[in-house]
Amino acid sequence: MCEIGINKSCLVWAGVAGLLAAAIQAAPLKGAAGQQTAPSAAPASAQSTPSAGFSHIKSLGGIDEYRLDSNGLTVLLVPDHSAPVVTFEVTYQVGSRNEVTGTTGATHILEHMMFKGSEAFNDPKGNSIKQLLERVGGQFNASTSFDRTNYFATIGRESLESYIAIEADRMRHLWLRESDRQAEMTVVRNEYERGKNDPENVLLEEVSAAAYVALPYHHPTIGWKSDIEHVPIGKLRDFYDTFYWPNNATVTVVGDIDTEPVLALIKKYYGVYPHSPAPIPAVYTEEPAQTGERRVVVKRPGELGTIIVAHKVPNGRDADQAPLEMLDAILSSGKNARLYRALVDQGLALSAGAGTDLHHDLSLHTLFAALTPGTTHDEVEKALLAEVNKIKTSGVTPAEVASVKQQYIAEDAYKRDGTAAIASEISEWIGVGDWTLYVTFPQKVQQVTPADVQRVAKQYFAADQSTTGWFVPVAPKTEKGS
Amino acid sequence: MIRLSTMMVLLLLGSAATANMADQAHRSKINGIDLITYRTNVKDVVIILGVLPAGDAMADPGNIAIPTLSGMMLDRGTKALDKFAITDKLDNVGAEITFTVGVQSLEIRAKCLRKDLPLIIETIAAELRTPALQVAEFNKAKQQFIGELEASAQNTGARAAEAFNRAVFPPGHPNHPHTLNDYIAAARAANIEEIRNFQAKYYGPAHMSLVVVGDVSDADTQSEMTKAFAGWSGGQDYVRAAKPASTTAASEVTVPLADKPSVSMLLGQGTGLRYSDPDSLALRVGTAILGRGFTGRLMSSVRDKEGLTYNIGATVADDSIVDGVWETSASFAPALLSKGVESTRREIAKWWNDGVTDQELAARKQGAIGSYFVGMSTTLGLAETILINTQRGFDPTWLDGFPKAVKALTREQVNAAIKAHLNPSTMVLVEAGSVAASAPKAP
Repeated sequence: MCEIGINKSCLVWAGVAGLLAAAIQAAPLKGAAGQQTAPSAAPASAQSTPSAGFSHIKSLGGIDEYRLDSNGLTVLLVPDHSAPVVTFEVTYQVGSRNEVTGTTGATHILEHMMFKGSEAFNDPKGNSIKQLLERVGGQFNASTSFDRTNYFATIGRESLESYIAIEADRMRHLWLRESDRQAEMTVVRNEYERGKNDPENVLLEEVSAAAYVALPYHHPTIGWKSDIEHVPIGKLRDFYDTFYWPNNATVTVVGDIDTEPVLALIKKYYGVYPHSPAPIPAVYTEEPAQTGERRVVVKRPGELGTIIVAHKVPNGRDADQAPLEMLDAILSSGKNARLYRALVDQGLALSAGAGTDLHHDLSLHTLFAALTPGTTHDEVEKALLAEVNKIKTSGVTPAEVASVKQQYIAEDAYKRDGTAAIASEISEWIGVGDWTLYVTFPQKVQQVTPADVQRVAKQYFAADQSTTGWFVPVAPKTEKGS
Repeated sequence: MIRLSTMMVLLLLGSAATANMADQAHRSKINGIDLITYRTNVKDVVIILGVLPAGDAMADPGNIAIPTLSGMMLDRGTKALDKFAITDKLDNVGAEITFTVGVQSLEIRAKCLRKDLPLIIETIAAELRTPALQVAEFNKAKQQFIGELEASAQNTGARAAEAFNRAVFPPGHPNHPHTLNDYIAAARAANIEEIRNFQAKYYGPAHMSLVVVGDVSDADTQSEMTKAFAGWSGGQDYVRAAKPASTTAASEVTVPLADKPSVSMLLGQGTGLRYSDPDSLALRVGTAILGRGFTGRLMSSVRDKEGLTYNIGATVADDSIVDGVWETSASFAPALLSKGVESTRREIAKWWNDGVTDQELAARKQGAIGSYFVGMSTTLGLAETILINTQRGFDPTWLDGFPKAVKALTREQVNAAIKAHLNPSTMVLVEAGSVAASAPKAP
């Protein structure tokens, strides 16, 4: 299920209980990794001579990467024949980081418009994507984040070709009509409004907006309300014509597939397109150095307070992300975690945690605590920071590091149980900029030492590099009601 | 991943062949516990799901918070090990065990690697049978529970659900919830002796079900279960309400919440049906045609054509053990609320008056069968399906029976079920949020 937050918006929130108990498993970006998988120089499952028209790029951890020579489309194949199902996911390297003032939220609106029909597949013809996928019982959705947009479905293998045909058609033949934009604008606005119901979501938006001054992570993926309402169809068309090209996309296929036939299908439907006529624009903005502590306060009706302490950390591909991941697990994974013992078990917080939202550029690390009734923001913030300071001064124990490593080994087995979860996590790493981290990040975590954890705590969690947000509940004004 | 049988593949393709999933499920009674094991081809992974009748419906009128607080005490240490020692053991093998309390059940969810299944079964048994129940931990659990309740006070979805279920189900019905403030007051007043009494009365093997799916051995699992639960006794059956909900007049409830840009709406009524009743499946499939997915009528019209909401759907729920509810749920901006409700009512009325078409039913039946198998392509999905079937009173043959039953449904059955069990003129409408807020500016 897609989560609604500032960093991720979806075509639809799958909150309505369905006819049957079935849900797409969302894979966390960090913390879902597992044991070491040896990289291989030779293709793990590819034929020695891949389909004509494709170049084999590399294979790693059971994943084979190909490039469609004619247009630069990247293809990742993850064969797994244990069930007759397939997850097909296309990830475009465009997200809200590619937006500017006036077009915030445009990437996400375009994601919604991608379901309005294309030249060959649409509702009037009775063969639209939703008509196909719901008829065959597929689980499907789409999501937009800061760094990427993806479209995915898990289906019986016999439906794969039909889905590829539709997905490929809407890459370059999408209907983009003003009448559809008008109807969809209010849909997206309601998605925005739902997010604003949650004070913690609002607080995270405000913390991000304060933490990033220049980088486009400053604005939420769903965009500012006025931009959602007013962005012209022409701007959406510009976005589509700039970024929706095969050389800016990666197709990931996980499940009951054989290499040659699936490559042939991909070539059949995506091979008709040329390379983009112009280079995909790069984001060249850099974040200026932060020169002091920043603070924001959100006051709204509510019951309990919340604190977020954020620090900018390197991009998601950086080697320091593995020790940061280890640090976050030691702080917040389970009842033995340091934040649980210091805050939750002591009655200061209902919950407390730490994590990094990995980005293509500077990522954002957050410490979080939800206050218990009667506690003050000051005391909880001090307790939260005290735990980080202990790691800075005294480090972590080898036993803590060893325990987290064991959890990763088990997680490696869990995460292979389901094609959708695998495809989803690979897509997140594509957004960060390197899909091979799906395989190598768990290996990097296994190499982390206690000294590494202490070093990154010292390096990145300085007070004058922090952005702290408080949600302070206030009494609601009197409302009419019966 | 799970190896689905050839027969399942045939069903995906619409074959009328007889499936044989039930043959792979092994059911046994272990000291009174209904145990179902299901071996799949997944490597190393084991999922354990269980239910035990000890939910909110079992609460003594003297203190309605006791069932939840009892469940919250289970992972706070046993007589042999404190909570940190238990967590250490689980963390060191990457395993997880959680307990939650619902309307009817204490729910157990665990996952582990194959080699660690004995540890997990032993730990679940110890937590259920010999919880430490220390006063200091109890006070922490109370504080946690009260905090969570208070935090939900401003949640439009939670407040709408509470008001809706209170309006639909009569007092005393298991699906009739108490108010948030009543729960908070009860939690404050609760004492540890009440927890001991509740656990002594309700925690036992007599009506407990456990499903173990994945890389498992039937014999080894049964052996571990026998060891871990030997000598345990007690347990009570579910609360099976004698008098079903019966809404005879329409009503409207507003739950005012300040500063909420999106209003949560629920519209519906009790069905008087349990999942195992003859009309239940027909009503479910008919409801899916109205309100499931993007091709459901509600999404097609109220979202796609009119642009009034981000999400709208209809479902039948809470009917595994007692008669359940039929509801449409949606979110609307305050300024679009009345139009949204009007459009929702229009679609419900059209669906109820005219029924579903043959074409809609054929597509929905095919989709339901397809999604059934896609949903069971993970260990967790399969385990959840087996467990809920068990709670609904079906044996494992229903794994194969469900797609056949869906396939056999006729349009006449579906339309008759809709007419027989629903009435748009007597539905309950709940709106939670800033319903009096002013309209947003037009773009």
